[in-house]
Amino acid sequence: MSGANGRLQVFTSKWQAALLLLPTLALITVFLYYPFLETVQLSFYRIRVLGNQQWVGLEHYARLLESETYRNSLVVTVIFTVVTVTVSLLLSLLVSFLVHEADSLSDFYLIGLIWPYAMPLAVAGVVLDFIINPQLGVLTYALEAAVGFEFNWNTDGTLALAAVILAAVWQGLGYSIIFMTAALSQLPDSVTEAAELDGVSRLGRLFRVYVPLISPVLVFLVVLQTIGAFFGGFALIDLMTGGGPSNATNVLMFNLYEDAFTNSRFGYAAAQSVLLFGFVAVLMYVQLRVTDRYAYYGGA
Amino acid sequence: MSVPPERLGTRLRGVLPSLPSRDGLVVHGSLWLTLVVILAPVVLAAIFSTQSTTQVYQITNILPGTQLVENYTTVLFEYNFLQFMTNSLVMTTVVIVGKLSVSLLAATALVYYRFPYQNLVFYVILFTLLMPLPVRIVPLYQLMAEIGWLNTFAGLTSPFIASATAVFLFRQRFRSVPAAVVETARLDGVGPLRFLVYVLIPMSKGMIAGVSAVMFIATWNAYLWPLVVIVERANQVAQVGLRYIQGVGSEGLIEWNLVMAAGVLVLVPPLLVLLVARKYLLSTLASG
Repeated sequence: MSGANGRLQVFTSKWQAALLLLPTLALITVFLYYPFLETVQLSFYRIRVLGNQQWVGLEHYARLLESETYRNSLVVTVIFTVVTVTVSLLLSLLVSFLVHEADSLSDFYLIGLIWPYAMPLAVAGVVLDFIINPQLGVLTYALEAAVGFEFNWNTDGTLALAAVILAAVWQGLGYSIIFMTAALSQLPDSVTEAAELDGVSRLGRLFRVYVPLISPVLVFLVVLQTIGAFFGGFALIDLMTGGGPSNATNVLMFNLYEDAFTNSRFGYAAAQSVLLFGFVAVLMYVQLRVTDRYAYYGGA
Repeated sequence: MSVPPERLGTRLRGVLPSLPSRDGLVVHGSLWLTLVVILAPVVLAAIFSTQSTTQVYQITNILPGTQLVENYTTVLFEYNFLQFMTNSLVMTTVVIVGKLSVSLLAATALVYYRFPYQNLVFYVILFTLLMPLPVRIVPLYQLMAEIGWLNTFAGLTSPFIASATAVFLFRQRFRSVPAAVVETARLDGVGPLRFLVYVLIPMSKGMIAGVSAVMFIATWNAYLWPLVVIVERANQVAQVGLRYIQGVGSEGLIEWNLVMAAGVLVLVPPLLVLLVARKYLLSTLASG
């Protein structure tokens, strides 16, 4: 660092440097490191009322491993994450490709496609809750009239998960499209010209030429969206399904919230936080390894 | 034939006819269809927000109603959304101003000073990326309860002010400032704060705007932490206000027209930020 940076390091006072860093370091100590370490500690205690705690060792972890509910939450979270990320990235890729192919209006299309990035998850939740409502929703009505299929996601667990995933995909599209259109627009025209002169079909060009070239961005998005989906979706589930019907949409984060703030089982919830941290740490590690391997293309 | 002319090399341009091809129609047609699908739920919500409760319960009625003004007034005043939106705006402003200030100071120290354990300090800040709210929410709530910050703006905003992302971005931006500029400032005997205010900040305007836009959207849209730390309804932010207005009907009829009006209101501020600051937001995201 000092090598590339040395020429810029014009100030020497260590005290000034410490003073400039103080606000950030104080804030991360109090509101990030302390609560994080405290989470680990709390996970070994049973806490009924604030202040009254009793050491239980690894009991919470043992209980989590045995718990049907927790295992169900893990499965639901993995399904939610895998489906949301896959569908969202495939759709974004196709849409971004279309924007790239459009010879005009691409700025107009881009705004029309990326705005859901600004949409609060809670808004996506309440809007879809009504539009695809089993009894009142206009989309549900149209769908049922068209295919005669009863889309009753208030009582059917699989459909409830599908409804939440639909909302998550809708809200998440904008973010991926921002990155993908940027990556595609940086590809040199010569790549496209060469593929076309070789007679590669349009979709072939997308999947055999462009996708390998923008793979660093795609890998980045896969990991980021996976982490996001693993932690996210809370507002959607809270507003649309409340974790139901019969726990079919009870993702890890919702389960943690309920245990902590509805059931006041703080120690048990803290243990769930620690496991969540473990999952994220693994995902981040995978990201670092995978991006290392794919970074050679250097497209973005 | 299926090749759009402008994709060919310049030598071939002009040889081919420049009429819109069938192919171009397919591309534009698909894009329009996608736009309609992505926009439809929000457009429908906006229409429903003008209907009366009776109209909104007629499933196939997707015509604008007559209660636009009444619905939005009811939501703003009777359902307290004016208060909730104000609270959201205060929270968002405090977080953005706080984040920018402390991150700009930290990045200045990291780039323009030489001190022991410099890299370690940077990594200590960066490591907090592994600690999103869910992995510290229980102790954070307990901490707020102990120091009496439940139901306060301090409790709402303090966990979000320190930012590894902002420090990282500003550090990168500062490192690309030409050495000549820095050298001139040093020869002129400019102190660090004046250097920050008069040189670095003007040179980083675009990135500051971009970071602010990203932070506005993220903070305005926050749901989980306000739900946990704010118990008093009057102090709540707009996102959780949606939970209240949607939950009102649990005893009887949900007034979906009012819920949709509230949804539209809560959507407008971040959407405006996206539209206004689009350029800066996109380039900031791209550099992250």
